[in-house]
Amino acid sequence: MTSQTLLRIAALAILASPLVAQAGDASKAISLAGNLCASCHGEDGNSAIPNFPKLAGQQVVYLLRELKDYKSGKRQNEVMGPLVSGLADDDLANLAAFYASQKPAPGTVTEPSLLPVGKTLYLKGNAASDIPSCESCHEVDGSGSGKFPRVAGQNVEYLLEQFRLYAAGKRNNGTRVMRTIAERMSEKETRAVSEYMASMP
Amino acid sequence: MKTTLRSFILAALGILAAQSTLAQSERQPRAKGIESPGYVWNTPDKDLNRALDYKASAKRGLVAYKICRGCHLPDGYGKPEVLYPQIAGQHASVTLKQMMDIRAGRRDNPAMAPFVGDWIVTVEELADIAAHIKSLPPPANNQKGDGKNLAKGKALYDKDCASCHGANGEGDHKKFYPMVAHQHYGYLVRETRESRDQGRRNASPDMVKVLKGYSDADVEAVSDYMSRLSLAKK
Repeated sequence: MTSQTLLRIAALAILASPLVAQAGDASKAISLAGNLCASCHGEDGNSAIPNFPKLAGQQVVYLLRELKDYKSGKRQNEVMGPLVSGLADDDLANLAAFYASQKPAPGTVTEPSLLPVGKTLYLKGNAASDIPSCESCHEVDGSGSGKFPRVAGQNVEYLLEQFRLYAAGKRNNGTRVMRTIAERMSEKETRAVSEYMASMP
Repeated sequence: MKTTLRSFILAALGILAAQSTLAQSERQPRAKGIESPGYVWNTPDKDLNRALDYKASAKRGLVAYKICRGCHLPDGYGKPEVLYPQIAGQHASVTLKQMMDIRAGRRDNPAMAPFVGDWIVTVEELADIAAHIKSLPPPANNQKGDGKNLAKGKALYDKDCASCHGANGEGDHKKFYPMVAHQHYGYLVRETRESRDQGRRNASPDMVKVLKGYSDADVEAVSDYMSRLSLAKK
């Protein structure tokens, strides 16, 4: 290897490093995730506890934003707040990268009879009450994109709790979009769309 | 005792009223519109100027448009049955002005306001969205009226509307005049009527003046005619 090649590699590494730091390094989060998060969210981010969210395969941009908001107190949760308050921003980025890279497991439907109603709302919205379709931001397959989270396979109880928090104005760290939508949804629509999200592979 | 009770009830009512005002103002702010003295129609404010000067990209707008397409649909067709307008091909300046007016509270639209706030789209994203909407082809199958009073509609349009909105309903990008061709009939009826009745608070005062003498039947006739205008006929 010539010294010129070495120089080139070094230059590339320096150029690339800020990007890596920004995106987070999943491998650096393995032990932290195991010690701090796994008991609730599962080893691989597929939480088996119905009211804790699955994180596996979640959008990295969304994960990082939520973690930062827990840390700053913008998103309030008595468990998550204290847990992340001591973590460095790099830890948060690494954790986000780790969970985003895990393979999401299929979700559990609890009331299959609600799926048709949920599917219609998810794909078409409900114009009569000015509810846009969910797929416009969360994608047809529920995979989400960027700041819009993955909803496919998510735990129903967690989803229901989030809709309730949004509607009550108690989850207000993101935009007011979900608050508005949650307010406009009926109880049945809320349950149905949560079931449909859980049913998506 | 009675007075205490009364003042208690009044205080409670006051708190309730204050809360509901707060809840409302959280949805959409309210800014001065046509009902206020000194209202100037199409002088762009700081944000609108910034958006107009920005080198917008229809391609970036496709991504930012996600927040819109849940109601206006991927092709911009909207939902005529609930009076969501058709927006495909609309002038970018017009879309921008309307989005900004709703955002600032000059045009009342509580249904849409939460989706166009600065918490979800930046000024630059609005410009990209407007560029993307401009790039969509306007549909030929937009909702039309019953076609019974088209002669009257054409006479009214040629006399009162064509000088600004264009003979073919093409509008004017530079002057913020919307393209009315390819628009859904029901939406045109509502907006024309609302403009006449000063319910569309960001309307052009010149247009409001023109519409003053319009009956509901006139509004319907001219809307039907507008819904049949086509840029393809040029």
